[in-house]
Amino acid sequence: MPIIDVHAHVGRWQFHLTCGDADDNLRLMDRYGIDLQLVSASEAVVYDAVAGNAALAKELASRPRLHGYAVVNPNRIEESAADLRRCLDSGRFVGAKIHTHYPGRLPGSREMAEAFDVVAEAGVPLLLHTWGREVLQLPEMVASRPGLRVIMGHAGGDAWREAAHAAASCEGLYLEHCRTAADAGRVAYAREAGVPVERMLFGTDATLIDPCWSLGVLRDAGFTPAELDRVLWRNAADLFGLQVAS
Amino acid sequence: MSTSTAVDRDRTPAYDWLTPSPREQIGWDVDVLYGPWPRHHRDVTLAEVRRRLDRSPVCGALALSTRGPLFDDRAGNEETLRDLADCPELLPVGTVDVRDAMTAEDRLDELAAAGVRFLRLFTVEQAADPGFPGYRRVVGLALERGMVLLHDGDPRRYGPALMDRGADVVFLDLHAYLLADFLLMAREEPGFRVTTRMLSGPDSVERVVHSVGARHLVFGSRTPFMDISPATLRLRYADISDDERDAVATGNIEELLS
Repeated sequence: MPIIDVHAHVGRWQFHLTCGDADDNLRLMDRYGIDLQLVSASEAVVYDAVAGNAALAKELASRPRLHGYAVVNPNRIEESAADLRRCLDSGRFVGAKIHTHYPGRLPGSREMAEAFDVVAEAGVPLLLHTWGREVLQLPEMVASRPGLRVIMGHAGGDAWREAAHAAASCEGLYLEHCRTAADAGRVAYAREAGVPVERMLFGTDATLIDPCWSLGVLRDAGFTPAELDRVLWRNAADLFGLQVAS
Repeated sequence: MSTSTAVDRDRTPAYDWLTPSPREQIGWDVDVLYGPWPRHHRDVTLAEVRRRLDRSPVCGALALSTRGPLFDDRAGNEETLRDLADCPELLPVGTVDVRDAMTAEDRLDELAAAGVRFLRLFTVEQAADPGFPGYRRVVGLALERGMVLLHDGDPRRYGPALMDRGADVVFLDLHAYLLADFLLMAREEPGFRVTTRMLSGPDSVERVVHSVGARHLVFGSRTPFMDISPATLRLRYADISDDERDAVATGNIEELLS
C-alpha cells in the first residue's frame, strides 16, 4: 500500500539537527516507503510566509512527489489571502498551513477567524498547528464555515484528549498525531471518544522529526491492515484529491 | 481542488518498520514506571507494564512504582523492591522526595542496603529547582554514595549544578531541540548520559554518537506513558555502527551495573 505524509516541512530549523533542502525529504521518504509528502516551508512558518512559499514553489517544481501547503499568516491576512490564491493557481499547492506559535495567534482570536475565512473561501484543506486547550474552539469555528476541513496537526499536542473530543464532535476535523513526545494511547483514546478511522491521517513533521517516529506510533496503535490502509494514505488521497498507484 | 500524481513504484516498498527487527532489541530500558498517576486517563498495573514490555523489543528495564514520587518515598521504595523481587526482567530503582530532604539520608541508606544503584529524581513533579537546599542535599548524598542519578527535567537547568562532581547522570527528558546544550556539557562530563526518548530528529542519535560518543546515550521509553516503537525504530535506522547501537541499547547500562 502507498503512504501519504500530510504534515512535513522543507527547509532548516533553528535547532541542532540536519533538515535541509527538499532532497533530504525525498531521502527519508525513500527510506520508509513514503510515496507523497505534503510540505510547508520552514521559512514561511517561522519567518516570512510569502517569501517562504515562493521559495518552496521552486523546490516543488522539479519534485512531483512533494505537494505544497501555502502558509497563511493571520497577522498579514490580505497579503496572505493573495499569496494563497497565487500558490494554488500554480497547481503545486494543495492546501493551507497555519501555525499558532510563531504568529502568536490562537483559535478564538479575531485574526485566526479571518484566516479561517480565507482558507474556507479558497476551498482547500487547512493543516493547523494545534497545541493546547484552544482546540476546543475548533468545532464551532469549522462548523460555522461549511465545507472547511481542518487537519489538527499534532492532534492538540499536550491537549490530545481535548483534541480527540473536538474531532469527534465535528465532521470537518481530522486528527494527525505527529509529535516528539509520543504519549501512549492517543490513537486508542481518540477512537474511544468517537473519532472514526476515516478522519485519522498520517503525518511526520519531517524533516524536523524522523518519519520513523510517527510510523512507530502507528505500529503501537494496533490498527488492522484495513485501518492502516485508510490512515496511511486513503484518507489523505480522498481529502486532497490525490491519486497514487495502490 | 484535485491533483493527480502518478507514483514511481520501482522503489523497494519499505514496510520493514511494521515488524520489529533484531536491530531494535533493547537490553535495558532505564525509564519504566507502574502504578497510579492521577493526571493520566487511566492507571497501568505492573502486570500490564510487563505485558507491554513483553510484546516490545525491550528485554530488561529499570523500573519503580509511582507511589514513591507521588505519595510516599519510603513506602514506594519498599513497594518497588517487593513487587520486582519476582520480576527477573525488571531492576528496582529508588527515589527520594526532594520536598522532604531531611529524611534523605535514611532513604538512601535503605536503598543502599537493598543493593539499589539507581536513584530517580522527580524534580518536575516535586517542583524543585537546582538551587533549592533540599535538591542539593539529596544530590550530594546520592553522589557521595556513588549512585547513578536518573534525572528528569531540562538538562540545561540541572546539568550545570551537576558538573565537576564526577556524577553519573542519565537525563530522561532531553528534547531533540535542546541537544546542543547537552553536547556542550557532555564534552566535559564523561558521566553525563541522555536517553533516546525524545531524540526524534533525523540525526539526533547520530549527533550524540558522532560528537561525544555512544557512551553518552542510553535507551529510555517511559513505558507505560509513551509509545515504545518510535525510539526503537529511530535506533534501528540510525546511521551508527552495530557496536555503537549495542552500547546504547545494552552495554552502557551493563557497565553501570557491573
